[in-house]
Amino acid sequence: MAIGVRSYDEVSLAQLRADPYPTYRTLRAEAPVAWLAPAGIHLATRFDDIMRIEKDHETFPALDLRSLQIKAMGHSLMRRDGADHGRQRRALDPTFAPGVAKRHWQPLFEDIANDIIEGLYEQGRADLFSDFAAPLASRCLMHILGLTQIDWRDLCRWSQALMDATGNYGDDPAIWARGKEAYDSIDRAIEARVPELQEAPDQSAISSMLHAEDPLDMADLRANAKVIVGGGLNEPRDATCTAVLGMLTNPDQLARVREDETLWRIVFEEAVRWIAPIGLYPRRVARRVEIGGAVLEGGDAIGLSVASACHDEDHFDDGERFDIFRKRSPHLAFGAGPHFCLGTWIARMQVGQIGVPALFHRLPNLRLDPDHEPAIEGWVFRGPTSLRVVWDA
Amino acid sequence: MPKLTFVQSDGTRMEISAEAGRSVMEAAIANSIPGIVAECGGSMACATCHVFLDDATAELAGPLAADEDDMLDFSAVPRRATSRLSCQVQVADTFKGAVITIPETQV
Repeated sequence: MAIGVRSYDEVSLAQLRADPYPTYRTLRAEAPVAWLAPAGIHLATRFDDIMRIEKDHETFPALDLRSLQIKAMGHSLMRRDGADHGRQRRALDPTFAPGVAKRHWQPLFEDIANDIIEGLYEQGRADLFSDFAAPLASRCLMHILGLTQIDWRDLCRWSQALMDATGNYGDDPAIWARGKEAYDSIDRAIEARVPELQEAPDQSAISSMLHAEDPLDMADLRANAKVIVGGGLNEPRDATCTAVLGMLTNPDQLARVREDETLWRIVFEEAVRWIAPIGLYPRRVARRVEIGGAVLEGGDAIGLSVASACHDEDHFDDGERFDIFRKRSPHLAFGAGPHFCLGTWIARMQVGQIGVPALFHRLPNLRLDPDHEPAIEGWVFRGPTSLRVVWDA
Repeated sequence: MPKLTFVQSDGTRMEISAEAGRSVMEAAIANSIPGIVAECGGSMACATCHVFLDDATAELAGPLAADEDDMLDFSAVPRRATSRLSCQVQVADTFKGAVITIPETQV
């Protein structure tokens, strides 16, 4: 029988940022749909409930005008439904389809990864977060977007500012201010490039949106570009560090991967399951509905904790363990349904096939720096924030 | 209604009746056929509803579109001549005794 939604307040936002997984475990067991009081949102934490939500967009639409993402980035395709979403999503296929990732982007991204490693090699040590994962993601993203004229460091800053604003459940005004500055900077960068891409189309996202059969207007284009900035930088960056961390802390698994290079594909999938870079995203509740033993009312918003779903005991044994040999099972790190991550195929290639293997191929005896513990942070978005390593240069 | 037989990689068979016009993926999901994951729910973004059709059904289903063809190169189990994404195959009244084999894994 349905019960009222349980309010859960035994955790602070700071504790969630430090490590949300113990809270998720408790919620999955005791209140799989709960009101998470410190964040002011309902939260779904079980795999099957989230899958049900993602396959029923009539009851749980993506469009919610209260969305923090709309406030931070504008109204992109990620907060649209049905035909409106489908039209904009199709416009981006020429940039993100798996065949395009392989044929068009792969050679370019291999050069970028090699160039970064070349620049690091002699120093014998690095923080892979700032020295490898961030520049790799940012330099690749400049091409994916079509903003090839900007500085990759600016793009890192803008992405972080947009993502911090999107996850600003604490409503911190300083975070909104930084987000607005990034928003304006990205608009200026788009403005500068559009005339050239109008004249000379290429494979980039901005070009694809301009030249689609049913071209997007500038407001839609700008909002979608910002979502691609957010999702195209922090997520591959965090997945890169997470995959390296998984390998370096499990030398037996690394040894097996070195023997069978086809396993890199699994390394990537296990990394994003283990620590999902996007931990949480919201849906609106369109009508009164019972889910996870709770009743939600029309107009409620609910956060889908895909990070929790990726550790759900009903789908994964020992979910907190990084194990590339676990029973193969679908995860939810890329979401599900019509909003299944647009960047999935580029990420699999850029991070899983190029970035992470390149480090292990090129840096002899790569290992964690014994003097510096890796740091991992975040709950709405989560990943290593520092990953110091050494190798025998 | 046309009958479809799904065959799992371990040989288990399940027969269902499917309405013409809906996709093979939707028919499979509606009948809780294991092994059709369909993460993206039919928007052709995920390649997790991969199936092998029998030769006759493959013929009846018609040629694949370029984007489906492209995506099949990325399925978890390598494609074969009669591979399809089941979300892109519409059940037709001509599907008599279709045998649809599900690969060992979709991920």
